[in-house]
Amino acid sequence: MDKSSVGNRGCHSLRVVDEHPQTASARGTFSFTFNGQSVNAMDGDTIGAALWASGCKAFRLSPRSGTPRAVFCAMGVCQECVVRVNGKVCTSCNTPAAPGMDVRSFTLFQTDGIKYGLEF
Amino acid sequence: MSQDFDCAVVGGGIMGAATAIRLAEGGMKVLLCEAQQLGMGASGVNAGTLSLQIKRVALMPYALKGHAIWAEAGDAVGFKESGGITLAFTQHEAEILEERMTARINAGAPIELISSERARQLEPHLTARIVSASYCHADGYANSSLTGSYYRRKLANAGVHVLEHTTADEIEPMDNGIAITAAGTVYTARRALLATGAWTKEISARLGVPLPIRVRINTVSVTERMPKLAKNVIGHATGLLTLKQSTNGTVLIGGGWQGVGTPEAGRGQVVAETLTSNLRLAQYALPELADARIVRCWTGFEANSPDFLPMAGRMPGWENLFVLCCVRGGYTIGPYIGRLMGDLILDRETELPLFDPIRFVEQHDSSTTLSR
Amino acid sequence: MASSFDVAILGAGPAGAEAAGVAAQLGLSTVVIDEASAAGGQVYRAPAARVPEGDAHHAEGDALRAKLAQSAAVFRAGERVWNIARTSDGVGALYDVATIGARGLETAQARSLIVATGATERFYPRPGWTLPGVIGLAAATILLKSSKVLPGSRVVVAGAGPLLSLVAHLIIEAGGQVAALVDVSPLHEWIRLSPRMAARPDLLARGMAWQFEIARHRVPVYRGYDVTRVLGANSVEAVEIARLDKEGRHRPLMLEADALCLGYGLTPATEVYRLLGARHAYIPERGGWIPELDDAQRTSVPFLYGAGDGAGLLGAAAAPLTGTAAALTAAADLGALEDHRYREKANELRGRLAKASRFGTAMASIARPRPALVKHIDDSTIVCRCEDITAGEIRRAVNEGAENINALKFATRCGMGPCGGRVCGEAAASLMQCHGIDRTRIGQFTARPPLRPISLGDVTRNFEYSDIPLPEPAPA
Repeated sequence: MDKSSVGNRGCHSLRVVDEHPQTASARGTFSFTFNGQSVNAMDGDTIGAALWASGCKAFRLSPRSGTPRAVFCAMGVCQECVVRVNGKVCTSCNTPAAPGMDVRSFTLFQTDGIKYGLEF
Repeated sequence: MSQDFDCAVVGGGIMGAATAIRLAEGGMKVLLCEAQQLGMGASGVNAGTLSLQIKRVALMPYALKGHAIWAEAGDAVGFKESGGITLAFTQHEAEILEERMTARINAGAPIELISSERARQLEPHLTARIVSASYCHADGYANSSLTGSYYRRKLANAGVHVLEHTTADEIEPMDNGIAITAAGTVYTARRALLATGAWTKEISARLGVPLPIRVRINTVSVTERMPKLAKNVIGHATGLLTLKQSTNGTVLIGGGWQGVGTPEAGRGQVVAETLTSNLRLAQYALPELADARIVRCWTGFEANSPDFLPMAGRMPGWENLFVLCCVRGGYTIGPYIGRLMGDLILDRETELPLFDPIRFVEQHDSSTTLSR
Repeated sequence: MASSFDVAILGAGPAGAEAAGVAAQLGLSTVVIDEASAAGGQVYRAPAARVPEGDAHHAEGDALRAKLAQSAAVFRAGERVWNIARTSDGVGALYDVATIGARGLETAQARSLIVATGATERFYPRPGWTLPGVIGLAAATILLKSSKVLPGSRVVVAGAGPLLSLVAHLIIEAGGQVAALVDVSPLHEWIRLSPRMAARPDLLARGMAWQFEIARHRVPVYRGYDVTRVLGANSVEAVEIARLDKEGRHRPLMLEADALCLGYGLTPATEVYRLLGARHAYIPERGGWIPELDDAQRTSVPFLYGAGDGAGLLGAAAAPLTGTAAALTAAADLGALEDHRYREKANELRGRLAKASRFGTAMASIARPRPALVKHIDDSTIVCRCEDITAGEIRRAVNEGAENINALKFATRCGMGPCGGRVCGEAAASLMQCHGIDRTRIGQFTARPPLRPISLGDVTRNFEYSDIPLPEPAPA
C-alpha cells in the first residue's frame, strides 16, 4: 500500500461557497497538522470535515486489507474516520478541530499476520 | 433422524463436545443436544488463556495434557505458544508468587522464577515497577471464539448427531437408560451426560440432586487493534490479571473480576467498579494501555465446586446419568477431561482419576443430602 | 459526580427533548443525556459553531433547543453513555447510567429510563464501497448542514428512501453537481405511498419541489436501479449502476464521479434495549428489529420505555408524541400521575399519534430492509468494514453451520470490531437470510458495554496501586 496515499492530496476545495458573504467571512480560519502536514480549517470544523474539505480522503489504512478509509457515516458510529490526537484515538467526524492540533493517522495494517506496521 | 442412542450428551461446550467425540470414537452412537449454538457459553467467551502458571497444582497433570491437545489443534483454534510472564508488584506478592510457582514447578510445569530485569527483557513495554516475576515458555493462548466452529467440524467428522438451538426440556430415568425430551421429541439412550456448565446448578436441582455449585461471573474486556505492546501472556501473582495481545493486535484483559447476573436470566452484566479495578491492574502492568480504546466487555459464567476441583462422574443417586462440570481452568483442561469422561462412560479405565461428585453427598439415615 | 433522578432520558432529539420537558413539567426530576454538544438529534442537528444558518429546519431545531433549556430538566450535553446497569428490588428499578464526557467519568442514577436514541443508516455492501468518497446519505446531510462541506465535486446519490432527494437537493443548493440520482424503488412504489404522504401536504410539497429542482438541473434519475460496483484506485472515480430485475441485472452503466452518497433507509438503534434485556420483534415496516412496546411505550423490562424512531420508525413528526407518551407512562408508573389524568392525556395523544405517523410510516415502508440486495454480491466484497470480513467468509461460515448472527460473529469476527456490528449487522443478517435462515433465528448481535469505544485511561483515571482491591487469591 502506498503510504503517500494517506494524507493531504488535492488542491480543490469542497467547501460550500456561502450565499451570504457576511456570514461566511465571519468564520475564522486556522490550521492544524495531519501526519506533520498543514491542513487549513475553519471555525466550527470537525477534524474529519476539515480533512475532507482539504482534499484528504484517506485518513488511515484498514488493518486487514490495508485499504484506505475516511469518513463514512459522519456520526461517530462506523469508526472508519478514527485518528490519533495527543495519543488518544477518536472519531474525527465528531471531534472539533483546534488550532495547532497534532493529528496522526491510526493505521495498523499488518503484513504476514505477524508484523505490525505503518504507525505514522 | 433416529431417536435411540448409546449415549446422549446435554450441553455443547468443550466438555460435552470432547466427551461426545471420545464416545463416538469408542463406537457409541451419540446424540449431542445444545440449547444455543455450540461453544457459546463459557467455552466461547473466556479469555482464551492457556497458562500453566495459573492452573491449580492438583490439576497440573490434566492441564499439561489439555494444553497439548490445543497445541495440536493449532491454527484451527488460533493456538499460540507465546510464553507467559506472571508479575509481582509488592514484596507480599513476590512471596505468594514464589510459593505458588514452586508448587507448580514441583508438579511438572516448565516454569522458572525470574528477575524484574529479565521480565522487562522478555517484555519491554512492561512497567518498571516489578518486584519479581515468573516465566513459562509453554504458556500461551487460543481464540475461544473459535471453539464452536472447531468442535462443529470435529463432531461431524466423528459422526455425532448434533442438535443445536434445542433445549433438553426433560431428563427422565428409564429401565436401563435415560429419556430426554427435546423440542417435543423423546430420545432414549443407555447413558447420558450433563455437560451444561453453569446451568448444571439449576438442572441438577430439578433432577432432585442439587449439586453445590457456585457460579462466578467473570469479566473480560477487549481493546481495538493496537500497535505491538506484548508478546507473552501477562499474569499477576494473585491470578487476578490475564492480559494478552493476539496476532490481530487486540488486547484481551481478564482475571476473574466479578460482574452480576445468573445463568437463569441468561446473561451477566458488567459492573463498572470491578471493571475499573481489572483495567487498572492491566494498565499498571502495561502503562501504554491507557491510550487503548476498549471495544467490548462481557461476562461469562464459570461453575465452581466447594473444593474448586471438578465434578466428573456419575450423578449421585443415578445409575446411567453422568455429570461433568465445575472444571476450574476448564478451557485448558476441557479437551482432556472430556476424553477421560468418555472413557468412563465407555466403561474403560481412565488414564488419570476423575472426580466423583459423591464426595459432596452426606448420608443421613436412608435419605441423601448434599453437603454445602 | 453521581446524581439521582426520577427519569433519565437517553437522547435529546425530537423524542427525547419532548419527553424531558413533559417529565419535568409533571414534577419528575429529569436528566437528559446526549453525546452531541447541543440538543436536536440527527434531524435537527445544530450546525457547528459559527457555521452560518439559513434553513427552516434550523428554526425548528432552535425552538426545540430553547424549549429544553427553559424546562426544569437537566441537560447533560457532550456526554457519551458507555454502560447502563439495572438493578431491581422487585418493586422498583434503579438504572446506573455511566457516561464519559469533558469532565471525565460521570454517573447518573434514575428510577426509570426512556430510550430515545434514534435510528442509524442501513447499508448494503457493494464491491468498492469502502473507498474514500463513499459516505452514507445521512452522512452527506451532516457534512453539508453542519460543516458546509460537499461530499465531492461530482456526486452520485444512490440507495433508497426519502433521504435521496434531500441529499440531492442539499448538494445542488450548495452549488455542487449531482451526477445521478439512483433509487432502487421504481416510481410506482412512490406513487402507491402518495395517499399516506398526503397526510403531510407540507412535506409532500417540499419533496415535489426537490424533484422539480433535480429535473431543472438536468440530473439523470434512475429509478429501479442500484449500485453494483464502486471503482477507483484509492478513492471513488466511477460508480457502476444497473437496473434491478427478478434475476440479476440488465446492462450496467458507468457513471463518472468522485463521491457516492449511499444509504438504504434507517434502522432503529436498539443497543440500549438489547443491553438491558428487552424483548424484540422483527418488524420490517418499522425498520427491522424493534423493542416490543405496549400501547403506552413500555418495553418488556419494567420502568424501561421507548420513544422516537429508535423504538420503531414512525417519522420525525411522531417523535415528540411518543416522547410525551413515554414520559406520561413513566410518571404514571412512578406514581406521580393519577390514573384518570394519565388516561385522559394518553387517549388524546393516541389519536394525534396515529395521524402524525402516516407520513413517517410511508417513508419507513419505502426505506424498508431489502435483504435480497446482497444476494448477488461478489464473495470478495467486504461486509464487515472494521475487520475486513468478506461476503465469501460469511457465506462459508453459514455453510459450515453458523445459524445465528452471534455464532457467525464468533466464527468470522464479523461484528467484533469497534463499530460493534452497527454497520455490518444488517448486511450479515441479510446474507444469512439469503441462505434460507429465518430472521428471528438469526437474531441480533448481543449488546455489550461499552456502547461506544471508550479509552481505557478514561475508565481508570488517576489511581494508586493501593486503590486496586486485590483479595486473597483462590486456593493454590
